[in-house]
Amino acid sequence: MVNLSVISTIIVQAAMISALYALIAIGFTLIFGVGGVLNLAHGATITMGAFSAYYAGQFGLGVPGAVLASVTIPALFAGVLYLGMVKRLEDEPIMVMITTLVVSVVIEQAIVVFEGTTSRALPPLIQGQFSIAGSTFQNLLGAMFVVSWLLIGLLFLFVNYTKTGKGILAVSMSHKGASLVGIKSSRINLITWIIAGAFAGIAGLFLGSWLTADFAMGQAQLVLSFSIVVVGGIGSIRGSVIGAYLIGFLEIATTNLVSSSLQGLAPLVVLVVVLLVKPEGLFGREFTE
Amino acid sequence: MSDKSTSRLRLLLGQLNPLGLPLRQKIGVLGLAFLIALPLLVSLPVVGQFVVLILPASSWELGLYNVAAALFFAMFAMSWDAVSGYTGEISFGHGLFFAVGGYTSAMLNMGHGFSPWISVLGGVLLAAIAGVMIGVPALRIEGPYLSLVTLVAPLILLQVFIFMSDIFGGEQGLGNPENLVGLGFVSNYFLALGLFVAIFTLLWALTRSNTGSILTAIREDEDAVSAAGLSKAKFKIFAFVLSGAIGGLAGAAYVHTPVGSPTPSELMSVIVNVEVIIAAVLGGMGTIVGAAVGGLFVAMLPDYLNLVEFTVPVIGKSISSMSFFLFAIVTLFLLNIFPGGVLRWGIALGRRATGRDGGDEGMAADGGQSPEDAGTNPVAQTMERYQEYYDNMFGGDDE
Repeated sequence: MVNLSVISTIIVQAAMISALYALIAIGFTLIFGVGGVLNLAHGATITMGAFSAYYAGQFGLGVPGAVLASVTIPALFAGVLYLGMVKRLEDEPIMVMITTLVVSVVIEQAIVVFEGTTSRALPPLIQGQFSIAGSTFQNLLGAMFVVSWLLIGLLFLFVNYTKTGKGILAVSMSHKGASLVGIKSSRINLITWIIAGAFAGIAGLFLGSWLTADFAMGQAQLVLSFSIVVVGGIGSIRGSVIGAYLIGFLEIATTNLVSSSLQGLAPLVVLVVVLLVKPEGLFGREFTE
Repeated sequence: MSDKSTSRLRLLLGQLNPLGLPLRQKIGVLGLAFLIALPLLVSLPVVGQFVVLILPASSWELGLYNVAAALFFAMFAMSWDAVSGYTGEISFGHGLFFAVGGYTSAMLNMGHGFSPWISVLGGVLLAAIAGVMIGVPALRIEGPYLSLVTLVAPLILLQVFIFMSDIFGGEQGLGNPENLVGLGFVSNYFLALGLFVAIFTLLWALTRSNTGSILTAIREDEDAVSAAGLSKAKFKIFAFVLSGAIGGLAGAAYVHTPVGSPTPSELMSVIVNVEVIIAAVLGGMGTIVGAAVGGLFVAMLPDYLNLVEFTVPVIGKSISSMSFFLFAIVTLFLLNIFPGGVLRWGIALGRRATGRDGGDEGMAADGGQSPEDAGTNPVAQTMERYQEYYDNMFGGDDE
């Protein structure tokens, strides 16, 4: 039977999972909102974040090393990907989709070659548990919630109160308008890709240490990002956060109350319904905070 | 046997003498003749050993199996090209159709005892219905959003398969349905080749007909199609149903051969969906021929790499153990060098070599223009189309 403690468990659990989902989706929505391209290597960037942390652990760099590696390596990778391939295809969204898709296959297969298909455990970030309303949760998930909101807050401040951030806003609104006032859109795009890569890396770090890391872990995250971004409205950070919470709550509720084998189905169904009923999403089109 | 194939082509091309065909079509006919003669060639005493050397396997039996599998994959790629290459509606989940066709046929055969020849028809029918189900929403959602829907559709199907694994076998698939023509290497090879030629001929003829021109026109300018009094909805749905039915046919026949079985990883995994697009884009989008050639290449390259017994010194891994990784790298490389497809590049190169650059007025609307002709080749047009969607989405700078 559904009682009060089950509901409170679901709410707390869903809030923490949704925070992770928001981290996963923000990078994707940033790139789409600013550059107008779908980065299908986003899932692979998340995988890369998890494996960077894994390797840092293997080299004995400890938790700080793992955190640092999982932020810098994916950020660097995203920057290189933008400069090396995406930049000259910017006017050709399909080629960007196909190229980034192939890049993600390359990364996944590189992991298969060097690490095999087995799951890897990341160095434990935070141990222990805490309890709310009679249910216990991992400290890791609590930290995930805090870090997620901290980063979302920082991103919000960055976008709205710094010169570069305002440049990002301007480019997302109009490429031509931005270049008219002297904003270099390629530089802004590069910054966006780097930020998106860093966010994806952190998401990969938490995802990997919460569950485990394997080569295909990014695929589901890519689909999740899609769903969240479409539900929230493409290009809207606020929409992505709300979309993440909507899908997170829905998923935890269905897996807890209906059947655990439905995991992963909820976001897909929501996505299709939203696409058919309200294709522009809940907060469509604008990129404002 | 090669006479038979040339006569079929001759029929198609009117009363043209095969010797009078353009060079690229001569090469195509020769390639087809080679594929038809392949089982014969391998059994010849000396020639056979050389032929086995160029097959993507260590023995001729396995080689024929691998080529048959590649032929099926080329059919998948052609079915993608028929809708995405021509109308410019990029499908990121064509595996849906292969899976619907394959699973339906396998279930009719295994669960209800239908002969595989009849159950394949059931698979085609249901895949065509799936084409309607994707095609109708495609009228409302545009560009990248449609790509999203098509990307997600096979994932939903996979989740359903996993959720109801007692019916659909989950990730393990459905086991082995009855084979259409037994286990014979040669008979299965000819089954695949026959189906390949049939599908190729159908799509080739159709895309070079008036219908093909309308589909191309949808890719180029939807408003112009409407202005000409043609229903673009009708033709878009037609393209999706056609593509779905053909993909379903290929998928259904595939599971009834020893080379394939109804599993999610073979019919509808992300990798399959991606490979189909890679094959068609690498070969040349919107040409059917390009999809066929690209499909054979994409399917056989990992097989060839599997044969290499060289071990890369520094990392200590053998080439064969990372064949798919190398395949992805090669693909990335080729995509960057030939964004318009290898076929177009080859045709342009051939024209330059034979000194016929620019001519060739009698060519059908197969998009065989030179790659320099930016804005008129299918890839450029599709991109322009998407760019329009994006511009609209981001406030329409041009308006």
